[in-house]
Formats: sequence, structure tokens, C-alpha cells
Amino acid sequence: MAEVKLTNIKKIYDHNVVAVHDFNLTIHDKEFVVFVGPSGCGKSTTLRMIAGLEDISEGTLEIDGEVVNDLQPKDRDIAMVFQNYALYPHMTVFDNIAFSLRLKKTPEDEVYERVTRAAEILGITEYLMRKPRALSGGQRQRVAIGRAIVRDPKVFLMDEPLSNLDAKLRNQMRAEIILLRQKMNTTFVYVTHDQTEAMTLGDRIVIMQNGYIEQVGTPGEVFDRPRNLFVAGFIGSPQMNFFPARLNRAGDRYTVEVNGHTVELEEERAALLRKHGAGSAEVILGVRPEHLTLCDDGEDSLDGEILVNEMMGSELHLHVRSGESKNVILRVPTIDLSPEKRDRLVSGAHIRFTFSSKVTQIFDPKTEKSLLWD
Amino acid sequence: MSENTAKRHMGLRASRALSNTLIHVLLVVMSVVWLIPFVCILLQSFRVESTWQVGYVIPQKWGFDNYVNLWNTDFPRWYMNTLITALVTAVLQTVIVLCMSYTLSRFRFKMRQPLMRFMLILGMFPGMLSMIILYRVLKDLGLTQANAVPGLILVYVASSGMGYYVSKGFFDTIPMSLDEAARVDGATRSQVLYKIILPLAKPIVIYTILTAFMGPWGDFVFARYISFGASAGKNVAVGLYDWLSKDQINKSYTLFCAGGVLVALPVTLLFLFLQKYYVEGVTGGAVKG
Repeated sequence: MAEVKLTNIKKIYDHNVVAVHDFNLTIHDKEFVVFVGPSGCGKSTTLRMIAGLEDISEGTLEIDGEVVNDLQPKDRDIAMVFQNYALYPHMTVFDNIAFSLRLKKTPEDEVYERVTRAAEILGITEYLMRKPRALSGGQRQRVAIGRAIVRDPKVFLMDEPLSNLDAKLRNQMRAEIILLRQKMNTTFVYVTHDQTEAMTLGDRIVIMQNGYIEQVGTPGEVFDRPRNLFVAGFIGSPQMNFFPARLNRAGDRYTVEVNGHTVELEEERAALLRKHGAGSAEVILGVRPEHLTLCDDGEDSLDGEILVNEMMGSELHLHVRSGESKNVILRVPTIDLSPEKRDRLVSGAHIRFTFSSKVTQIFDPKTEKSLLWD
Repeated sequence: MSENTAKRHMGLRASRALSNTLIHVLLVVMSVVWLIPFVCILLQSFRVESTWQVGYVIPQKWGFDNYVNLWNTDFPRWYMNTLITALVTAVLQTVIVLCMSYTLSRFRFKMRQPLMRFMLILGMFPGMLSMIILYRVLKDLGLTQANAVPGLILVYVASSGMGYYVSKGFFDTIPMSLDEAARVDGATRSQVLYKIILPLAKPIVIYTILTAFMGPWGDFVFARYISFGASAGKNVAVGLYDWLSKDQINKSYTLFCAGGVLVALPVTLLFLFLQKYYVEGVTGGAVKG
């Protein structure tokens, strides 16, 4: 139970390769923070610096008010779950979980009690006497988590713990991590490249790219109000559609024009644009696939040609070419789609679609920053 | 299965059986050829009718006289010299080699690559090149002739760090995340080495001990010039060799054979007991797999 404070943290490798630039973040006590980003964005490096497995080149790291830059991992009172589990193969599950307690010379009856309690929480009691090689991937992951929770650490670090599991198991373990978090009630730092994991697990999400923090916010904030093009494209699946568009200002009102289709922006967005002093300009318009709706011929709308039609069950994903945009994706719920209409949504067919101004994002094409960011 | 494929299957099986038989016959022949000298020595060591070299292999009169007579020579002294040298060297060299390998495998420091290259090149020079200077230094330290044992230990152990290749290679295959997990769990670097790495590297630890023991156990060149004729400082190889000299061979040939058997005994036993560790695969299930 502790606050983790990173101030101006930098990681510079040999030959001046900078992996993390000026990382500033305060992770509050009992908060679940997720670092997310594409590979090579510095998220794992940052986590490993918190763990003490990488030296901190510049800046200060505080855990619970104490500067721990130069402390060995063993003295930081943290626990970590690794992507490849890192179970000690020559020890039984019991010994694996007991390892840290025994290093601290905990009395053997207490070790027994704590290990069995951790095993009960994770449902691995019956495997305690097995060696790791006799376990399945999911069971190994549980042991790895058991090894971490048995210590009751100040901070719980997880480095892509689910990425070695198959899709079904991953969903199940994700739910278990949420439950575990409720039981543990401690500070969590979780690294993943999977935006779904980030959205479902995190109290706050830290989105990183090329060693920089792009945005920090709650899942709702980063989804609804992405700060720049990268965040907008990274969060959400399938990813947000981007259209080259023209922003027109007439007095206090704004309209966007995409491929000849014009939509007026509602007041909330207009107010933000006015605050930025935005005038008429070329912009990038972002609309999420679920916010594009099919409409009938004749309405003022965008037209497109279906390239690929993906049937996902509860919804259709239509990949559409529209004007200059080569791959626009529409999510069409199948529930209110008549069979005749669905039959018409095949490759090569022409459709018309539109969007509501309440859900659009507008970005500056040069700086890639959102014009709606306050 | 159709008849044709069945036939082909049979043919395949027959040819495989044939090649297996051939290989086994070849192996048996090779092992017989290889074992003949050892069997001869073993048989001669039990011969009591004469101590000379004779023209036959199977003794006419059997007995333990040669082994008993060894006690009345300097042989026990040589044997102890060799045993002490080999055991102390085995312990020290194993510790040094394993620490060296762990360091080179796990730590990244500035001169790591140059150091490894330097040792590789240094290792290409034959050790004999250093013979004269080593003798000079050891003589000044008073560690030659009768005091050859500590001198020899010094010589063997001094360069042992350079024999890190095999164990470093093995350590490299143990995932780094095991070290990291242990360090986060509260282990120091040395605890990581002896609680995690060494148990996983058991075959290589045993290999290291065996080679460290075998080197001094069978060494001749260094042992001969460092002991330099003083019987009290000889090891078995040097002592036994001297029994084969022109003026000694007729009274000592069967003694030599008995001594040879006694020298081979501990090594043979060691290998017999430790053999199984060579084949034990222990890293299964460490990481994803």
C-alpha cells in the first residue's frame, strides 16, 4: 500500500539511445494504473525501473515517500509478475510461492499458512506439490501471481502477464485479476500492449509512444477525449476512422465538410474550438466505427463502396472505401438489420452513411493534437 | 494400410534394423580395441611370479603382492600429493569458474567483451610457454621440489577463470527473468546464483568439478618440472613414470601396473556415479513452453 511517484524519469541506454523521456506520474495509493502502448514504447522499461531491474538514468523514483533510485529490487518491497511466468523450474509450486518468505526467514508454520492462503485465493491448492513443468499455462500464471500476492507487497507490478495465454483463458484471467485486485487492495502497475486489457483493468491508463507519455486518464477520458491522433487511433477496436476534412467557421458556429458532406458541430464542441481560437482550416476528422451509421439514399450523407464484410455475430464490420479514405470501418449492429438489408451489404455494394456531430474528434493535421482538448 | 505401403514399411524397418546391427557391431569392436590396454594392465597388476615385463598377458600366478608392495614405496606419498592437489584444485577452480561464468553471463560491464576476447586469445597460447618463468617464481617462493603441492595448486587455480566457456554457455540458456524474479522476491545476487542458477545447472556444475579434478589428477608436465626430482613432491603420474626408466623397469613393472589401476579407480567411480547428471534435463517448464 503505497504511492509511487516518478519525477522526470529518463532511461538512456548506451550510444545515447533514449528509451524513456522525462516520465512524470504519480500513482496513488491503491490505484490500478496501466501502461499501454505499442512495442518499444518504453512501458516495460519504465516498469522495470520501478522494480529496480533497470537503472534509472535520470530523475527520481519514490515509493511511499522514500527515494528508491539506488535500492536493490529486494529492498523495494515490490512484487512482480513476468510475461513468461519465470517460475523456478526445480522447485515445487509450494516452494516457488514460499521462496520470498523463506528468504526473509519467516517461521515455517507462517510460511505454510500464508502459502496455503494464497493458493486458496487462486484455486491452485491441489497443485502445490507439483513442479511447474507439470502445469498448464493458466495454472503457471496463477502460481506466478501467487508468488507475488503471498508477500503482501507495497506495489504489485505486472509485465504483460496475460499475453502468453490463449484468448479464452486471457478473458478469464483478466476477470480474475479484477477480482484479485478487489481482494488485495494495493497499488497495481500493469503493462500491456492490449488496449482491451488497459480499458477493462485500469483506474487510469498511461498511453505511451516512443518513450513519451501521450496521455494519462481514466478509460472513459482517453476514449472520449483523446488528446492526439495517436491516442485516438490506439484506444478503441476497431480503430477510429480518420477523414481529411475542412473546418469552416461562421461566427460562433462551426461546420465540418467531408467529401462534400457537411455536418454542423454542436455547441459543446464549438465552444472548445472557440476557446482555441480555431478558424476555418484543413483538419483531420475522427469518428469511431460505432458512430458511423448507415442511412438511406437521398439523404445528405457520405457514400462508399464495401471492400470487405466481416460478420462478427452481434455486429457487422464493413470495410469501406469512401472518397480519399481507403479503409473506413463501420460497426453495424445486426439486431436491427432486416435480412434483405443485410443481404445487400456485400463486397462491391455501394452504401451511404453519416455520423453525429456529438461524437466527432477534430485534429490539427500538422501537430496531430486534438482541437477539442481543453 | 495398403499392401504396398505395408511392404515398403517392412522394407524400411528391415533396413533400419540392419544399420542398427552394423552400428552396434562397430561399437563393440571399437570398445574392445579401446579396452585391451586397460585389461592388460589390470591383469599384470595381479601377476606375482615376476616383476619384469613378460611376453604373455594372463598371469601364471595370481596375488595381491604388487598392491601390498606399493605401501613400501613412495607411492602412498605420491597418491596423497595428487589427491590433495586435485581436491583442492577442484574446489577452488569450480568456485572460480562458476562465479566467473555467472558474472560474464549476467552482468553487463564496460570491459566485458574485451575481457572475453582477451582470454580467448590468451588461451590459444600453450601453457608450457610460461614454464620457465613459473618455475623461477615458484622457486623464489619456495614452492618447488618437496613443496610442489601448494605450488602446483597455485599453478592450476591461477588460470582457471579462463575455463568459463562451457558453463557460461549453459548459464546463458537459463532465462534472465528467473534471476529477475528471484531478485524481486528478495534474493541477493549470490543467493540467485546458489539457489536458482546452480540447481538448474547441476549437469554443468558436475562437469566443472570433474574437469577441475581430472586436470591435476593426470597432469605430468607441470608436476614433473615443479617437483624436479624430489620424490616427496611428485604426483602419481611423475612417480609412476620414473618406475619405467631403464634401471627401474625390471623391478617395478608390475608395481607400475598396480599403481596405474589405483590411479584409475577413483576417476572411474566418479564418472560412474555422476554420469546420470549429464542427461538430466532440468529446465522444462521454467518459462512458457
